[in-house]
Amino acid sequence: MTDLKSIAGQIGDEISKAGVRKAQYTVAAKETREFNVDGGEFSLFRTLFDNCLVITVYKDDKKGSISTNSFDREAITRAVSNCIQSAEAAIADPAYDIAPKQENKIFEEGSYEPDVDKLFARTKELLETIKERHPKILMEQMIVEHVKKHEIYQNTNGTEFETFSGSYGISLMFSGHEGNSTTSFFGSSVTTDNLDRPFIELGSVEKDLCDVEAQLSPIPVEGKFEGIAVLTPGSLGSFLYSAMENFVSDITILDKTSIWVDKLGEKVAADCLTLSLAPLDERICCGERHTSDGFLSENYDLIQNGVLRSYMLSLYVANKSDYAPAKNTSYAAVIEGGDTAYEDMIKGIKKGIIVGRFSGGSPSSNGDFSGVAKNSFLIEDGQIKGALSETMINGNLSDILKNIVAISKETVADGTSVLPYIAVSGVTISGK
Amino acid sequence: MLENHIESKTALFADGVHTELRAQENRRRWLTMVQGNLAANGREETSGVSARVYKNGVYGFSSMAENSGDAAEAVLKAATENALFMDRHINKGKGMFPALEKGTVSTSQKLLDPEQKRYIEFAKEVDAYIEKTYPKLASRYVVVNVDSMEKRIYTSDGSNGHVLVPRSYVNILLSAETPAGVPVELVEPIGGNGNFEDNFTDPALLYPQIDALYEQLMEKREGVYAQAGYKTVVLGGFLSGMLAHEAVGHTVEADLVLGGSVAGPSLHKRVGSDLVNLVDFAHTAFGKEAPLPIYLDDEGTPAEDVVLIKDGILTGYMNSRETAEHFGMKPLGNARAYSFSDEPLIRMRNTAVLPGKDKLEDMIASVDDGYYLVKTNNGQADTTGEFMFGVQLGYEIKNGKLGRAILDTTITGVAFEMLKTVDMVSDEVVWTSAGMCGKKQPMPVGMGGPALRCKMMIGGR
Repeated sequence: MTDLKSIAGQIGDEISKAGVRKAQYTVAAKETREFNVDGGEFSLFRTLFDNCLVITVYKDDKKGSISTNSFDREAITRAVSNCIQSAEAAIADPAYDIAPKQENKIFEEGSYEPDVDKLFARTKELLETIKERHPKILMEQMIVEHVKKHEIYQNTNGTEFETFSGSYGISLMFSGHEGNSTTSFFGSSVTTDNLDRPFIELGSVEKDLCDVEAQLSPIPVEGKFEGIAVLTPGSLGSFLYSAMENFVSDITILDKTSIWVDKLGEKVAADCLTLSLAPLDERICCGERHTSDGFLSENYDLIQNGVLRSYMLSLYVANKSDYAPAKNTSYAAVIEGGDTAYEDMIKGIKKGIIVGRFSGGSPSSNGDFSGVAKNSFLIEDGQIKGALSETMINGNLSDILKNIVAISKETVADGTSVLPYIAVSGVTISGK
Repeated sequence: MLENHIESKTALFADGVHTELRAQENRRRWLTMVQGNLAANGREETSGVSARVYKNGVYGFSSMAENSGDAAEAVLKAATENALFMDRHINKGKGMFPALEKGTVSTSQKLLDPEQKRYIEFAKEVDAYIEKTYPKLASRYVVVNVDSMEKRIYTSDGSNGHVLVPRSYVNILLSAETPAGVPVELVEPIGGNGNFEDNFTDPALLYPQIDALYEQLMEKREGVYAQAGYKTVVLGGFLSGMLAHEAVGHTVEADLVLGGSVAGPSLHKRVGSDLVNLVDFAHTAFGKEAPLPIYLDDEGTPAEDVVLIKDGILTGYMNSRETAEHFGMKPLGNARAYSFSDEPLIRMRNTAVLPGKDKLEDMIASVDDGYYLVKTNNGQADTTGEFMFGVQLGYEIKNGKLGRAILDTTITGVAFEMLKTVDMVSDEVVWTSAGMCGKKQPMPVGMGGPALRCKMMIGGR
């Protein structure tokens, strides 16, 4: 692959010659092998060779960034010059900064070299297994890939991180079909560093296929009621992402629209909830090893036993707001299993729904959400009564984190997160 | 301008296969100003070459981040090997596509690419106006987004081209607090097709739209929750455009039809009232250039309009060459790739509901109890046609008159059922091309429509 060290060296030299004393830059080379299945049939094999170069300079407290995928010497010279020009035109702000010198590290993550023949064999096996075990499933699209990446990060404080990573990704988009009945589409994905097990055994792939097959005869909800919503690991992930974006992210702390501003150390969720961001967890595949500001990444608890312990801040917003920067900049969410078996969770619910997927508008700044419960099931008297059609749910992200009724013992690890099923109260469920 | 290093490599196209060779450069310039702070300030350029080879029903594809003759040779070789690998293992045995007519399509658009300073100074002036004029806002954002795609396309049929599509927007986001202290916000994307220099000559020209946005925000901060239920609504043009794109457009992309979408069994059947007509325009609509004009797609097919719904009847799909062959239709230029490293997928261009004869005022006056829904910030739909749109701005309609603004809510329905309830269509179309459509790849698209009176579910409390 390309000699990234010499490219990084050229950037460092040019930045130094231009008199810039604070800068950071990343050079990366990436190779992707990818098989595509469309409409249930193999359609495409792709081999991609890509580069990435991202430079950020800070000149007189002014910041400029540029990214390009060209590694030729002239393009790099032009990129450095344009980046400095962008910074010179920017607005000065002493809060811009990079991490102090960190210990230089080399990271080797996952399976760097792909086994293309075995990847194809596992993909074919998955397709055949689904056709045999789940005949009502139509595979709209399946993308299976190996991504190999070599990356060097350097900054003007002398830090260098070199990363060699390789991972396999499996992404399925499918729906159920029988006669004239069709389900909503559903997606299931997994990231893994090996090809040891059949893909259908990974993450929640098999359960997702079973659930969609069970959605072929949906029933509408009558009227409107407030009930318990069981969030599957998949839908929980999207609710958590929205909550993180709305309540603890850079922008909402910077403009102070977050309703959790000044709530550090205070109760924001039920006692039973501990939410970690843990890219170094062994169940996370090729997780982040250093932050975008040049700190070594560490796992941390965002919420610990219901108490807000951190915001997800970059160094810039941390400096603007006097909070600490986040110990990593990933979204590798980990919630350990609770004390209620999933089966018992369902048995304990008088009336509610299992939310398989939430299709809704971006929640309001205050966390209000409203949308359609897709791929979802009705629960009555402790039993799953059937799949739902045209059912809306409304609630508030902050409230549902406070209103956790139970956390399942079972968790799903898909290589990017580890999440259980969570039952929450206070969700309004309404039918047509 | 994107240099041409690939034309001479067409001599290397293999016999007995379809080959596409493409060089492409995408440029993006952006900045985000939050309360006067420059939170983001960036420029991005990605370029390279790719080749796709079709053999017996399967494709091989390869790309390289370098616009050069050597890279073109390398990707042609790798794409051919990949197609052979797939053919060897899959053996579909399908034939060649009908040949495209030889020809060259070129757009006249020129790329203007000012220094970052130009965008920053413009945004600073707009931000200063907002800060000075509306000091009581909870927060203000000025976001500049400028992007362009330039492509050189060569195919083994000899249908070739050199096309450029630039787009530039300034998005204004204002937020205020309700009397109860709850933040509410509104966004206004301003801009469209063309270079920044074409669309933004003077910051002061944006002020009337900013003033109008502020007025709407003040109405919204006094707003009420919508009453949840199945209601009569007047769907404004931005929402009917979203409907055209998300709820109908995706279901009639032929690859999704093959993936089991509701449009499969609905072809040539009634899917809307007689008043509903829907077209995916290629490059010209209603006598003007469309907001995202596409003259040639990435398979080398010259772009033409696709009539999707005529007088309420579903009449066609959007196709690639492969799906057009499958369905016995004509490919009309919908196969588009986002980056040099992306293969062409079936994508919309400028998808719009056609206007009718009604006046918006008469439509509002005709509703006793319902809502007029004006702005959307989000839309999703699935292949059943069930859709969900976020509504960021709307008003109650009581006894034919506009009432209080409503807080953020969601509307939902099933497209081919909801379109049958359309009984009034306004005579004016509004367009936007500010967003990105998400499929396997992102893609700029245009969407538009008139106001529609119809029935659908609205969320609320």
